[in-house]
Amino acid sequence: MISKTFFKESKELFRDGRVRISLAIVLSLLGIAVWISSKQYQSINEQYASAKTAERNIWDNQGEKNPHSAAHYGTYAFKPKYPLSLFDQGVDKYAGTSIFLEAHKRNEAQFSAAADQTGLARFGDLTPDFILLFIIPLLIILLGYNSFTKEREMGTLTLLKSQGISIWKWFIGKWSALFLPIFTITAILFLIAGLVLGNLKNFGVFNTSSLLVLFLVYMAYYVIFINIILLISSITKKSGISLVVSLSVWILACLAAPKAASNIAESKYPYPTRQEFETSVLKDKKAGLDGHNPWSKEAKMLEQQVLIEYGVDSLHQLPFNFAAYRTQKGEEHEAEVYFKHYNYLKEQFTNQSKVYRSLAAISPYLPTRFLSMAIAHTDYATHWDFADAAETYRIDTQQFLNNNTAQNTEYGQRGYKASANFWQQLPAFKYDPPKLESTLEKNASNISIMGIWLLASFGFLFFTTKNF
Amino acid sequence: MLSYNFKYELKLLLRSRWIQLLSIILLMLFGFSGYNGIQKVDKRKSDIAAAKSKIKESDAMMLKLLDSIEQGMTVNATPWTIPTSPMAVGNYHPRVAAMELLSMGFISTGQADLFTDYVKPKVSGEDTALNFTEMTSPVQLLFGSFDLAFVIVFLLPLLIIAFSYDVLSAEKESGSLRLLASQPIGIQTWVLQKLGLRFLWLSILVILSLSVVFLILGFNLLSEINAFLSLIAVALVYMMFWFSLVFLVNLWVGTSSKNAVALLGLWVLFVLLIPSVLNQLGNTLYPMPSRNMMINEMRALKAEVTERQDQILDNFLRDHPEYAINDSTQSRGFYHKYMASQKLIKEELEPLVNSFETQLQNQQNWIGNFKWISPAILTQESLNKMAGNSAEDYEYYRRQVMSFSGEWRKHFMPFLYNNIDFTQADYASLPSFNYKSKVHDNMIAILVILFIALTLFGFGVLIAEKWKQVGILN
Repeated sequence: MISKTFFKESKELFRDGRVRISLAIVLSLLGIAVWISSKQYQSINEQYASAKTAERNIWDNQGEKNPHSAAHYGTYAFKPKYPLSLFDQGVDKYAGTSIFLEAHKRNEAQFSAAADQTGLARFGDLTPDFILLFIIPLLIILLGYNSFTKEREMGTLTLLKSQGISIWKWFIGKWSALFLPIFTITAILFLIAGLVLGNLKNFGVFNTSSLLVLFLVYMAYYVIFINIILLISSITKKSGISLVVSLSVWILACLAAPKAASNIAESKYPYPTRQEFETSVLKDKKAGLDGHNPWSKEAKMLEQQVLIEYGVDSLHQLPFNFAAYRTQKGEEHEAEVYFKHYNYLKEQFTNQSKVYRSLAAISPYLPTRFLSMAIAHTDYATHWDFADAAETYRIDTQQFLNNNTAQNTEYGQRGYKASANFWQQLPAFKYDPPKLESTLEKNASNISIMGIWLLASFGFLFFTTKNF
Repeated sequence: MLSYNFKYELKLLLRSRWIQLLSIILLMLFGFSGYNGIQKVDKRKSDIAAAKSKIKESDAMMLKLLDSIEQGMTVNATPWTIPTSPMAVGNYHPRVAAMELLSMGFISTGQADLFTDYVKPKVSGEDTALNFTEMTSPVQLLFGSFDLAFVIVFLLPLLIIAFSYDVLSAEKESGSLRLLASQPIGIQTWVLQKLGLRFLWLSILVILSLSVVFLILGFNLLSEINAFLSLIAVALVYMMFWFSLVFLVNLWVGTSSKNAVALLGLWVLFVLLIPSVLNQLGNTLYPMPSRNMMINEMRALKAEVTERQDQILDNFLRDHPEYAINDSTQSRGFYHKYMASQKLIKEELEPLVNSFETQLQNQQNWIGNFKWISPAILTQESLNKMAGNSAEDYEYYRRQVMSFSGEWRKHFMPFLYNNIDFTQADYASLPSFNYKSKVHDNMIAILVILFIALTLFGFGVLIAEKWKQVGILN
């Protein structure tokens, strides 16, 4: 019974002109999207590699210079693009790609691609994630909306019932007939993309298990949609109504819920504006030690403390240059201030994520989107991770530079310059994105939400079979 | 016949509860999105007001300090922030260069979540370092905002499709088409009348619910009647475009579900695919130069400039004798060299920075040539412009800030190079930023959409002619 229903349904679908046309359209759109994204990926990575080497060259060849001048001159951390971004561009377009690392200041990543594009960019891009997340669910609706209603409309339901069919076998047949084309399209896409990625030169960190998990996430998403659409089709009386209801579900889940969630998240847990953020950072910075200012109250306190600690009575007797020591202490205070304020941002982001998760109850799109971005290393959490790594590197760099001054000069000495080959001793900035296991661990709640969706949709489908 | 049709259609719509349902849905959608918009605009307004009042406070402090110093007292402040130094004023007491929000600002988020509404340009630092992007979670930028423009551009067409995808096919399927064929009316006239009436009712509902929502949100309909009317006009012609598609599909395609699928395909095409393909083609044809390369170039230039600081300062003073006519001290410090070098860097980088603007302009022109393919783009753009949040508005603002930033810097140059202290008397003549909002004309977009809609209707009437030969019941 299962196989008979399956073959009958598949044949019917394949003979339907609409289905063939839409399958062809979806496949060609996917092809275009993959092609565009891989081109983009290659050019961005080339730019990244050359910018990175150029910046390091500039840093290495500074010549003789005072270390603190070099600290002000700073250096840049560039954000690489990861292979799986080919599938899901995530927030990459909206997050900056380079962070300026300088003394006294933690800078945000700047130059997001969206800021350099026209207003049309906000409509979205023709990328694989757009097709995977929006268009394939639409395809599922198109293939499955009349799966059961047509039996009612054509009167074949009575015929079937008179045959004494087992309802659940009939359901499984229908279900697998809908599942197979979707599974095939997705599998082909992932295979092709896997081949493309495998053949790209210097494609960075790419492992097949991430690809496989991503595939599973999308299959789970589609299974949820298939269940919902079949459920609607089995409850409604007419094909037209089934289609309209299915579409409403799609609009609600894929379009309305994410936008509404973003509005609710923002009004509940707003970010400060850039100017406000800078002002409050400045205020906190002023309240502590300023490495450039030897006359402030905090500087005097530090002076006393160090003198007592080393048991000497003048700064000249210290084994290191106190001015550089003070600069370093000031740097540490500033780093703390930035840590506090960026932590606040992170807190807001965590709270916002909770809002997104709670709205996932009405939209399977949300957990899928977040999981897919996380696995592809294009989510906001990876961006934070990169920014934090850059900040750690910045703090280490400052210490490295200040230590050099502290060790090689005496208190009161001016015009010190480090030798030309000193700069190469600074280790280069290296960033590894989080491993797949830790990504999945962090997204455990999204995974469980998807699990609930899967179970619930299967459950509802199972109970409706009793109504036939 | 029209009067009968009118009467029965109204009865039908009321009894099938379509009108009631639509009014509730529209009120809810407009209400929620309008409320979201108002919340955002209020926050933006209060942010700007707070920034301005903070500057006022710090100005008062500065004047107090200046007063003490002018009376010969010693002040307790970090040496390099004491406002007798013109550079201290230029750096620590910047002006707020804010965009002014329009009364319709809440109807569309546009680019307002991406770009900031106010910046405070300082004398030191590069113009390219002025960050015009807002601190927003990129997830929010990715998902976008549930604003009125979203409801009008994305959801209203879907309501129209759900409302009338089966105007003709339902008659066929329920068998009442035979009854209809016996009436003295042409079938396309009948469909046109029926759709016309639905358009009329939906328009009335949209206008009413928009007015109700706007009144509740505290929008002054009387004084802003022109802005409100142009919003209504845009929404109506956009609806008309979708009704024209519904008309065509109803005549052309067969069964209800086929109609629905075809209309849905058109919706995906016009609202999702064409905009993204146009955008991507624009990016491919006129690719942005790499920002990372710009950074590299700027860094190399900076390194080179630092080495030649003294020479640059000499050249600068030779070129600009007007800055230092009255300087008797001839003392030269950090800022003298720095500002001269910065000016040089700015001039050298200008072609590179401009190449970004030119490329963006090219993309915009390219999209401008093709955007009429999709009325969704035209509508979204018009709504953004009405709200004053379009990409053009922010670009216009950016340009004004850049020119103000130049003015601000220039204002302090004579002080710096003549080694003159900044005094209380100089406070009044500090330059201030006055935003001029860009004036948009939405008439063309409205007319273009109207033209497209009418053409489609005309096309529909033409294809319906074939029925005269084939016969509607076959």
